[in-house]
Amino acid sequence: MTTDPKDLEALVLVRVVRLNAAVAGVVTGLLAGLALFVATNWLILKGGPVVGPHLALLGQYFIGYRVTFVGSLIGFVWAFAVGFVVGAAVVAIYNRLADLRDPHARSR
Amino acid sequence: MSGGGPRYVVIGAGPAGLTAARELARRGRDVVVLEQGHIVGGLARTESYKGFHFDMGGHRFFTKVDEVQKIWREVLGTELLRRPRLSRIYYDGKFFNYPLKPLNALAGLGIWRAVMVALSYVRWQIAPYRREDTFEQWVTNRFGRRLFLTFFKTYTEKVWGIPCSELRAEWAAQRIKDLSLRSAVVAMFIKPRHTIKTLIEEFDYPRLGPGMMWRAAADEIVRGGGEVRLGAEVTAIHRTGPRVDAVVVAGPAGEERVRGDHFLSSMPVTQLVLRLSPPAPDAVAEAARRLTYRDFLTVCLIVDRPDPFPDNWIYVHSPEVRVGRIQNFRSWSPDMVPDGSKASLGLEYFCSEGDALWTMPDAELIRLGKAELERIGLARLSEISDGCVFRVPKAYPVYDADYRVHLDTVRAFVDGLENLQTMGRNGLHRYNNQDHAMLTGLLAVRNVESGERHDLWSVNTEQEYHEEVGVTEAQAEALAGRITAIFPRIDSLALGAASGVVSGALLFLATLILVLKGGAVVGPRLSLLAQFLPGYTVTVTGSLIGLAYGGLLGFLAGWSFAVIRNLMLFLSLSVLRRRAQRQLLKRFLEFV
Repeated sequence: MTTDPKDLEALVLVRVVRLNAAVAGVVTGLLAGLALFVATNWLILKGGPVVGPHLALLGQYFIGYRVTFVGSLIGFVWAFAVGFVVGAAVVAIYNRLADLRDPHARSR
Repeated sequence: MSGGGPRYVVIGAGPAGLTAARELARRGRDVVVLEQGHIVGGLARTESYKGFHFDMGGHRFFTKVDEVQKIWREVLGTELLRRPRLSRIYYDGKFFNYPLKPLNALAGLGIWRAVMVALSYVRWQIAPYRREDTFEQWVTNRFGRRLFLTFFKTYTEKVWGIPCSELRAEWAAQRIKDLSLRSAVVAMFIKPRHTIKTLIEEFDYPRLGPGMMWRAAADEIVRGGGEVRLGAEVTAIHRTGPRVDAVVVAGPAGEERVRGDHFLSSMPVTQLVLRLSPPAPDAVAEAARRLTYRDFLTVCLIVDRPDPFPDNWIYVHSPEVRVGRIQNFRSWSPDMVPDGSKASLGLEYFCSEGDALWTMPDAELIRLGKAELERIGLARLSEISDGCVFRVPKAYPVYDADYRVHLDTVRAFVDGLENLQTMGRNGLHRYNNQDHAMLTGLLAVRNVESGERHDLWSVNTEQEYHEEVGVTEAQAEALAGRITAIFPRIDSLALGAASGVVSGALLFLATLILVLKGGAVVGPRLSLLAQFLPGYTVTVTGSLIGLAYGGLLGFLAGWSFAVIRNLMLFLSLSVLRRRAQRQLLKRFLEFV
């Protein structure tokens, strides 16, 4: 009675979650791509004598990226790619480490 | 009647027995029902006195078992009324809504006592009993001592006749705890509010009480060629090895041996075991003797006033009176009372067969009932014109500390009798309601007729909640079983390390790319990071320092995210479980 095997503590947060690297990659890729696409077009719509001088610095990493509409499309592709790699890498490494720390989990 | 087919002997004409017999008669089987009482209905019978009808215990007709609902509709048709429900608790001279409503409870308790209840709740949350061996400890740990004393202690002790400090916590745990945890899981996926609200606020009820249903069912059995014998007490069950051959029936005309091929029994399983011939093994008989019951009697009073109170029934918690529950039969159905200018009330006293209350002469019980009714303030002595008493033995199987062990022993033996099945509340020694008792009758027939393998012992009240929220017991069990997989934790160290590795690599690459590109001023903007990351520069060395910084910050971010996510998930589930328990608290008396 005092130790109920069905108690909440014994039921939830017991197993370690495993994540899908591809799904995580696509999600972070889409988020990053959309964020850059929206940010670029937001600055274009605001206009001004010099449009997005700081955001344009991303061009140092993302070849072909500029703060223009075409640049926003190129930026989307770059950001998606980088976001995908980052998201998938984090999850893949996480899964590997989780397996190392709890080797029996996979067989459950 | 079926000319050469198997003969079924059904012992007991309560909901389980009559449901089984009706089903058999509909299938054209040769069936005889043996009932020791003078009327059908068993624990759900309706007694009559001078044209007044009295429901023994009060039986709402609500169920989520479709087959049972269908039977009620088939048998009763338009005689099944939809009735509003009102029930309250009487305590300390005040009436509290039941199911409990916070504002009403607050008004009844008064601000000062409500504050004390709240403080008591907090106190017992902070420092609960370390062990939960008794019902008192179990409830106090969840709801605080004040609430326990107000809404649980007296009524529970009236019903069960033993102090809450001696009532085992297993009883509460079995009826509430597992259920609440499962319900918390189920509630994650299903919104039960509407259904529960409907069931709480109204119910179906036969125009002349539940006895009307069972009289009609008995008529159907007779019309189908079956036989229903009243005043036929089964005094012995003859068996040859694991097969029952016949039962001996004592009736007005003496003893008679009734042979059969299949036996379905809803008589108390304890009596069944003790009346076997040859007798059951000593250990089984001893286990049967140790299974006990709680009984009650109803003092029925006729009041010369149409509506003493609007409730269907009132739970009487006040310890200064012995009555436990008061039924107002006109509120159940206007046709229960033949005279519009009068009311009929049923004062229920929980007792044990043979104790002082049980053996008290009827006239004295009526005097007691009248006095207590006046003391509560529901009627004056001068308004009560008549009364009678009905006794209901073996109304509630008692779940005491050892009942499970004894029941398992009895069950193991009874299950070994090939052509006998027990069913119903007392046949299974389970606290089944009417609908589940009926379901056991139906399933017993299918086990024989269709070769199905239903476990009648597992049909119980724990199904009720799941039925209310629209899932089956099996689904709820499956869901509860999967809960560990549904709510896993994130490994915080692993996520921290993973995000640290990726963050470090990103900053390392971002720095190195600029270094490799070169120029007059290398990475003037990225080097601003040095304001936050001392020592960082856009150089090859700086890229390594950036790797370390990125790794550290990424680790902290990932680790914190995982820890907070796990904590929030646990907290939200804890809140959900609490909420489920509070929902049950509101309806707790139905489980008492």
